[in-house]
Amino acid sequence: MSAVSIVVGVLGGLTAVLAVYYAVRDLSADLVLLGACLVTALGWLVLGIALGAKDLASAGPAPDRVVLYGYLLTALVMVVGGGWVGAFERTRWGSVVIAVVCAVTLVLLMRVHQIWPGGFA
Amino acid sequence: MTAPRTDDVPASRAAREPRRGRGLETVLIIVYAIFALSATARSLVQVLTKFDHAPVAYSLSLVAAATYIAVTVALVRGGRRSAVARALVVLELLGVLVVGTLTVVDPALFPEATVWSVFGQGYGYVPLVLPVLALVYMLLGGRKGPSA
Repeated sequence: MSAVSIVVGVLGGLTAVLAVYYAVRDLSADLVLLGACLVTALGWLVLGIALGAKDLASAGPAPDRVVLYGYLLTALVMVVGGGWVGAFERTRWGSVVIAVVCAVTLVLLMRVHQIWPGGFA
Repeated sequence: MTAPRTDDVPASRAAREPRRGRGLETVLIIVYAIFALSATARSLVQVLTKFDHAPVAYSLSLVAAATYIAVTVALVRGGRRSAVARALVVLELLGVLVVGTLTVVDPALFPEATVWSVFGQGYGYVPLVLPVLALVYMLLGGRKGPSA
């Protein structure tokens, strides 16, 4: 689980940096940046499924499920929504939105670790 | 990296070309939408599961959430020159300042944190900075006229 979480963090960070680069160069989101967004979203999906499977299987202390799955869902919706906005906002500000959204997912990832440390043990 | 350039075009040309987007306004809308989502989710969980624990704090959480939703909707519908959006952002700024001050002066009122506690400390002080930036952007944008 920790490995998946690290991958998700790295994906989110790289996509955010790429989006900032696009914004600085005054580029709107192209298929490379949108693809990075999509891969980050897939990473969150995998993390969510993996945590859900662990939650079902584990006998240890249960997580605060509403909050945990709320965060996972929020992250997924945000990355997809950010990519959506980036696809339709054909200015540098579309790239800024992707950067903001990906940066926020890093905070969400940190919070997911705090909400259910057992999920990553 | 062969993305199209988005260099600023003269206003006369921009008027004839199809709109490519709302620009910075989009970012503002998205940031407000994220806050609306997170504040609403947080306050709903608090109010539904443990309202008696801290009624004042949780009620204010709901108010904060409603404010963020209202600003998001006003921005989407009216844009940055919308008077409603401007009034709501002023309300939001007042809320952050009042709740922030209260949490510092009388922490006992707030046994649990809200979005606006200690001027939005738990959210990297973004709740304090956001309305100020939004107001500056709205006022500057309003002066440029309808073509900006």
